Amino acid sequence: MFGSQTQRETSNGFALRRRAYWITSAISNPRPNTITSSIPKKKSTLSVKFEDMYGFTVDGNIDDVNVLNEVRDKVREQAKVWLELEASKGTNWYLQSNGDRINVVSLKLSKLANAITLKRLVRKGIPPMVRPNVWLSVSGAEKKRSTVPDSYYDDLTRATEGKVTPATRQIDHDLPRTFPSHPWLDSPEGQASLRRVLVGYSFRDSDVGYCQGLNYVAALLLLVMKTEEDAFWMLAVLLENVLVNDCYTDNLSGCHVEQRVFKDLLAKKWPRIAAHLEAMEFDVSLVATEWFLCLFAKSLPSETTLRVWDVLFNEGAKVLFHVALAIFKMKEEDLLRARQIGEVIGILQTTTHHQYDPDELLTVAFEKIGSMTTNTITKERKKQEPAVMAELDQRQRRLDTSKMNG
Amino acid sequence: MATIGNNSFNAKLVLLGDMGTGKSSLVLRFVKGQFLEFQESTIGAAFFSQTLAVSDATVKLEIWDTAGQERYHSLAPMYYRGAAAAIIVYDISRMESFERAKKWVQELQKQGNPDMVTALAGNKCDLEDKRMVPTEEAQTYAEENRLFFMETSAKTATNVNDIFYEIARRLPRAQPAQQPAGMVLSDRAAARSQASVCCS
Ligand SMILES: Nc1nc2c(ncn2[C@@H]2O[C@H](COP(=O)(O)OP(=O)(O)OP(=O)(O)O)[C@@H](O)[C@H]2O)c(=O)[nH]1
Ligand SMILES: [Mg+2]
Repeated sequence: MFGSQTQRETSNGFALRRRAYWITSAISNPRPNTITSSIPKKKSTLSVKFEDMYGFTVDGNIDDVNVLNEVRDKVREQAKVWLELEASKGTNWYLQSNGDRINVVSLKLSKLANAITLKRLVRKGIPPMVRPNVWLSVSGAEKKRSTVPDSYYDDLTRATEGKVTPATRQIDHDLPRTFPSHPWLDSPEGQASLRRVLVGYSFRDSDVGYCQGLNYVAALLLLVMKTEEDAFWMLAVLLENVLVNDCYTDNLSGCHVEQRVFKDLLAKKWPRIAAHLEAMEFDVSLVATEWFLCLFAKSLPSETTLRVWDVLFNEGAKVLFHVALAIFKMKEEDLLRARQIGEVIGILQTTTHHQYDPDELLTVAFEKIGSMTTNTITKERKKQEPAVMAELDQRQRRLDTSKMNG
Repeated sequence: MATIGNNSFNAKLVLLGDMGTGKSSLVLRFVKGQFLEFQESTIGAAFFSQTLAVSDATVKLEIWDTAGQERYHSLAPMYYRGAAAAIIVYDISRMESFERAKKWVQELQKQGNPDMVTALAGNKCDLEDKRMVPTEEAQTYAEENRLFFMETSAKTATNVNDIFYEIARRLPRAQPAQQPAGMVLSDRAAARSQASVCCS
């Protein structure tokens, strides 16, 4: 369905874009690909344009290309690991670690072992080749789909075809404005797919309807999942099970809650940064709101975003806090030196846009932050909810009186 | 809030308005001199800064370009809090966007800073053949609400620099020490209800 981009299987079964992002072999860095090797970061002035693994045009420099080449090597290594596991544990071994009907003790143990292996592996990255299947399985999307007739998605798109609602109007407005520099998303074919997914979802959940931001999320899901229907179910499971409720509805109350939780976490985990930014009267939500609503799709390079999503689908919405905290931590010194809001934003934007090495980010996210269980986060959310509701309520009332007074 | 340095000061400016009215395009035109046929939709808000020289000072505008979809409304206070100026943007080819602009005006009057310099921009004035909002109607509304009004086009660059410069000129110079004696600042909005109309 992605035209020329569907030719992606190489001989060893590792999915790789035909239009790869290395420029010449002379430029690519033939470093041995140990998974833990850290990638040197130096400034390079020569800027180049190239396409990354998912077809996005990148304006970077030679160092970025080198980093991406190393990432590609690591992905290939990971693909081997996954293939070996399939050979020893059977195809789709990861499917079992999520099932909950098996009662035999020994099976339970192997299930647990699989879950632990899976968690570790997913944090190292799911190879693009198996990504769609693993995502469908670990996120619960497959299960969700299995509760409705097979024809659900087709029926939905057929039933909603030609209908016009406020949501469809807004979707149509945003289609050409969604990653317009991506060749497939810029094509009529790509936009038609994206439209069907977004319109379909707007009818499935009329409380959400269409919320700006979902266009970027759905677009990236389409690029990964390869079929519209799979992308649709991933979007559904994301909004209905993975993320906190009401992130995208009505007045984005869920998003407000997440922002408050994030502020608290930042103050707890990185008190120096939080105090410095507070003294500057810089509200971290000014930048973090977009991160949470687009799940980093608009800020991080594609493969890095997808690596975050790998973990998000397997471990849940707390992953977003890990990653957001990691971004601040990685630039701690620079942030502490910043004196103006513009500088802070510049630092954070440059870091996110150039974070081509997913492992660098994820290592900080999962090894430097300390444990944050889903339980603690849930408690934090509960704590913040009344304040958010009160604030939104009060604001609404003030607006209503202003309307009455003219 | 405008803060003062050595005859130069920073001021926070926020752009508000319905989705797709051209807020990001106006900023992009002003800051980079570019226009994109398909400008990515803004989520949350985007930040830009631009320094400009007006007769007696250098102003560094810290510009917040916000997201336009109705439900993002609840995030807006975070962006307009402490703003010295606002540009409320509508699309002259969509009446609905003009109605939305009026709501923003009300909201700022109610909750914003009373000294805020507020501009009303009727954007996409290159689309004369699709016009739905008559110039006079918007102008009358602007005068009644003490806004200054211009019709703009991010596409053709009409009045884009003008609106930002006009804002910079009207910003109150915060510190009395910097202020030429006898200059009256409080009547700025009422006194000058200049309107500039798109010529296409
Ligand atoms: N003809 C014409 N089109 C314009 C003009 N300004 C913007 N556009 C187009 O209108 C569309 C929306 O512009 P944006 O600048 O993204 O609008 P926005 O207000 O930032 O939208 P949101 O971020 O969704 O709130 C884009 O496709 C622009 O190319 C203009 O002056 N004339
Ligand atoms: Mg915008």
